[in-house]
Amino acid sequence: MSSVLKYFSGLFTGIRSLLTGMGETWKELWTKKVTQQYPENRDTLVISDRFRCELTMPHDENNEHACTACGICQINCPNGTIVVTPKMIETEDGKQKKILDTHKWDLGMCTFCNLCVITCPSNALKFENTFENAVFNREKLKQQLNHEGSKMREKKKEPVAPKVEEKETPNA
Amino acid sequence: MILNYSQPLEITNLTSWLDTTLRSSMSEFWVLLIEFVLVGVVLLAAYAVIALILIYAERKITAFFQARYGPNRVGKWGLLQSVADMIKILLKEIIKINRSDRFLFFAAPVFMIVASMLTFGAIPFGKGLNAIDFNIGVLYVTAVSSLGIIGVLLAGWSSNNKYSMIGAMRSGAQFVSYELSAGFALMTIVVLAGTMQFSTMIEGQRYCWNLFNGHISSMIAFIIYLISGHAETNRGPFDLPEAESELTAGYHTEYSGLQFGFYYLAEYLNMFIIASIATTVFLGGYMPIQVHGWDAFNGIMAMIPTYVWFFGKTAVLIFLSLWVRWSFPRLRIDQLLNLEWKYLLPINLVNIVLMVILVLTGLTLTDLFPGLF
Amino acid sequence: MEKIKELILTTVPEAVIEQKQKLTVTVTYDKLHLLAKTLKENAALPFDTLVFLIGMDRGEELGVNYLLSPSSDLSKEIVLKTGTTDRENPLLYSVTDLFETAHYNEREVFALFGIRFINNPDMRKFFLNGDWVGYPFRKDYDTNPELNPLSIESKDIIDIAPRIMEVDGKLVEEEVNIFGEDDYIINIGPQHPATHGVMHFRTSLDGEIVKKIDIHSGYIHRGIEKLSEALTYPQILHFTDRLDYLSANINRHGLCMCVEKATEIEVPERAQYIRTIMDELNRMDSHLLAWACQTNDLGATTAFIYGMREREIILDIFEKTCGGRLIINQNVIGGVMFDIYADFQKDVKAFIIYMRDKLKEYDRFFSHNVIALGRMIGIGNLSKEDTISYAVTGPAGRGSGWSCDIRKHIPYALYDKVDFKEVIRTEGDSYARYLNRLDEIEQSLHIIEQLIDNIPEGDICAKTKAIIRLPEGEFYSRVEACRGEFGVFIESRGDKFPYRLKFRSPSMALVSAMPLICKNEKLSDFIGIGGSMDYVIPDIDR
Repeated sequence: MSSVLKYFSGLFTGIRSLLTGMGETWKELWTKKVTQQYPENRDTLVISDRFRCELTMPHDENNEHACTACGICQINCPNGTIVVTPKMIETEDGKQKKILDTHKWDLGMCTFCNLCVITCPSNALKFENTFENAVFNREKLKQQLNHEGSKMREKKKEPVAPKVEEKETPNA
Repeated sequence: MILNYSQPLEITNLTSWLDTTLRSSMSEFWVLLIEFVLVGVVLLAAYAVIALILIYAERKITAFFQARYGPNRVGKWGLLQSVADMIKILLKEIIKINRSDRFLFFAAPVFMIVASMLTFGAIPFGKGLNAIDFNIGVLYVTAVSSLGIIGVLLAGWSSNNKYSMIGAMRSGAQFVSYELSAGFALMTIVVLAGTMQFSTMIEGQRYCWNLFNGHISSMIAFIIYLISGHAETNRGPFDLPEAESELTAGYHTEYSGLQFGFYYLAEYLNMFIIASIATTVFLGGYMPIQVHGWDAFNGIMAMIPTYVWFFGKTAVLIFLSLWVRWSFPRLRIDQLLNLEWKYLLPINLVNIVLMVILVLTGLTLTDLFPGLF
Repeated sequence: MEKIKELILTTVPEAVIEQKQKLTVTVTYDKLHLLAKTLKENAALPFDTLVFLIGMDRGEELGVNYLLSPSSDLSKEIVLKTGTTDRENPLLYSVTDLFETAHYNEREVFALFGIRFINNPDMRKFFLNGDWVGYPFRKDYDTNPELNPLSIESKDIIDIAPRIMEVDGKLVEEEVNIFGEDDYIINIGPQHPATHGVMHFRTSLDGEIVKKIDIHSGYIHRGIEKLSEALTYPQILHFTDRLDYLSANINRHGLCMCVEKATEIEVPERAQYIRTIMDELNRMDSHLLAWACQTNDLGATTAFIYGMREREIILDIFEKTCGGRLIINQNVIGGVMFDIYADFQKDVKAFIIYMRDKLKEYDRFFSHNVIALGRMIGIGNLSKEDTISYAVTGPAGRGSGWSCDIRKHIPYALYDKVDFKEVIRTEGDSYARYLNRLDEIEQSLHIIEQLIDNIPEGDICAKTKAIIRLPEGEFYSRVEACRGEFGVFIESRGDKFPYRLKFRSPSMALVSAMPLICKNEKLSDFIGIGGSMDYVIPDIDR
């Protein structure tokens, strides 16, 4: 008798559990849909400020950046994404001075580990949240970060407020 | 009783007008020939169109169950999505598989689609809208729809792929088992209706659907038919033959392009066929809802064309099947067979006996309340 | 532990015992098996868990470090060291008969260091093809690409395993067939929807029933441990996120802790809070994905999407905190890289309420579904003894009744200050593992609740030296990642680069138990069990 009872109780608890499950999907049928309608929602899309998509070198209104061409970012990059090329110029008082010629960064190789930004002694680099980086050609992923004709900001000006307070001195 | 009110939207008007026009101008032979061709073309077109609509509906409803929007890029609300998919499938290359049994490999999808076509033709879509009205309609549908399994088995065998083979063997076991239950469930209603002819069966359900007429027994038969029909169409939670997380795509893994399209169409059409047979047998088919003595109400109901009633009822059943599909995890093969042989079949056998008793002792609703139903 | 020292000296009198970071015992290669066996079988404190098996190239000598723990108390640790100076044909004795988990680890050591293990039943290379020239992790490995050219030819898999057995004191080289003559073998993977990555199971079937599974791995092996030997410690950190990417933050925590312990850096209180909260968010993220994938493996696609939907909220919190979603780069040596953002507490609290509600929904939707129960209860049974022998940790190990939560045994960060329950079930089947994950989500919520309002003000990172050098020595750290115990071993020779770095991957133990628990189950259940074990392949293919 108990086996018969078991047979039917098993049948009915089974059916009840199935109906409960169907009840949940029924409720979900009417809940708000979560799919993001990109690119239609581009105007309202909020990407977090800290989201790391593109390495940039902030330039101010005078087309000046903070990079001293020390090459610490290049040394710290774990997979050789950054190439800093300095050049020597002669200052007005006749001294040799090293300034930045080109700062090249390869988006295709970058692992977005943020080491270059946190180790930069002069806060010259910053990751932006511009995430639409698709291009048709791998060559286009290689970018030059310093603008054409830009020069280094003089010491007296305060650098852009640092995003990340903690700073690790580099291992040169 | 003859319907004595006008039904302006019925397609029967069109068909009978066509028939009269043709007959007035040519001989019997040509008339029949032209009509056969026309019926064939219309059925084929309907087959494709219904499948496209079903695919769209399924994707949309599934998405809504899953908190998504579903296709919404091609056309307004993604309405043209399944058309676009069809074009894509037609354009795709048909890949020839090395060391496969070439002839059977090509024949298999044809078996599948022919079986579902044959069944599709026998369905009464509306009043006067069936290609053929056998006196053994139920038997014919049951027999012909089981041909499809040959396509599945052949596909699994001829693909020379172990995954396909496992999928096909699963499908074979599943189909043979569930065919029994589906057949028995239909037989229960045949006992109640006293006929196997679809038109008579529908006419008999004018005031009381078979589902209610045989109350307990019919309800059980209905549920069993839905479960086993669902299983026959290889759809979740019974989708073991193509369980994508286990067998990638099961028996049709190696098919591409149009051949895959055949399986895809057949799968959706089988779902439609199961739902429409259930509609016809249990839910009064294309018959509008009619109540004894409420003539005004009956008149309004009958204004709605019969094919709308048919497709409406079928759509409800299809929605039910989608709801089930997207709510449950997949069964394992032994559980699947357990369900059939330990639960559905014994219940079914008892149910037939119960139905016979109900009919013989006059305990059906029409017998109990003759004025009401 | 004094008794253990005595026991070691009575067993192997010439053993060298040193008190380094851990108690370290060095023995000759012929005594190692005896010592391990004695330690395992002593009645007072049986050291029956093999946590680490680390292949080493010590310069002159090739060797192996073993870290043993008693399964009842994982905080007690003994390191056994052995080695051989024969670089041409290095042979050591296998401990596979004592600890099953050693089997695949020894095969890994063979592939990477060329050390063969006597009495290991299957001495094929793991990760690498049998015909690979050279042993990549040796210091004198020739990296010339011409030695191992990229081949586009299709190669047949040979199911023959060489091995060296000791018969009556003599070494015999033999070959054994993995499968029988007439076995029906199917390849599940490397490209298969349910292997959760690039994993390859060669499976012999009897109808629907799985007879034997042979695991092939290494399709995405990146040699992270070798790469690390040329990078500074801050640079290595970014690799850890790419091991088990679903517990990225916890892995990174493990490596940071290892370096911090070695260099005695004090991590500020605020950083500890942030680390703990992020770890727990990460754990929930992983468990949600595990739940979703398991339901998907069982054929419930809808549940999969629900799991992903909830996970998205955690990823959004990650994105706002540290600018990454999967690879979040949050921990650095000495603290964390990013402070929490202004609305962090608000978002997390809202998530806690939301998640509790959803857990109830999961419960109604799936946990009691009769089909789901049939697919999970009594399937993939793993006994407690096997769990310990295979070193299966995490929710899977705790599903078999083994209390193996590192957060309880060796508390780190703030885990000794918060109140939480170690979820243990004794059934050992898929369902126990399934429920464990859902319950651990609840426990994680509970932990976060206790911390979220009490985050102290202060620094988020300690000041570190310009160049981080580890003192000479061997350093271990163990953390509880989402899939079980994640371990880091660093051998430093005082440089700014590690001499040898090794990660203990929890997934490898999970996969190594698969052939055992899937035997005689149905093919469908093999997939379902895989979902319940929830391994992540990049964690294995380091």
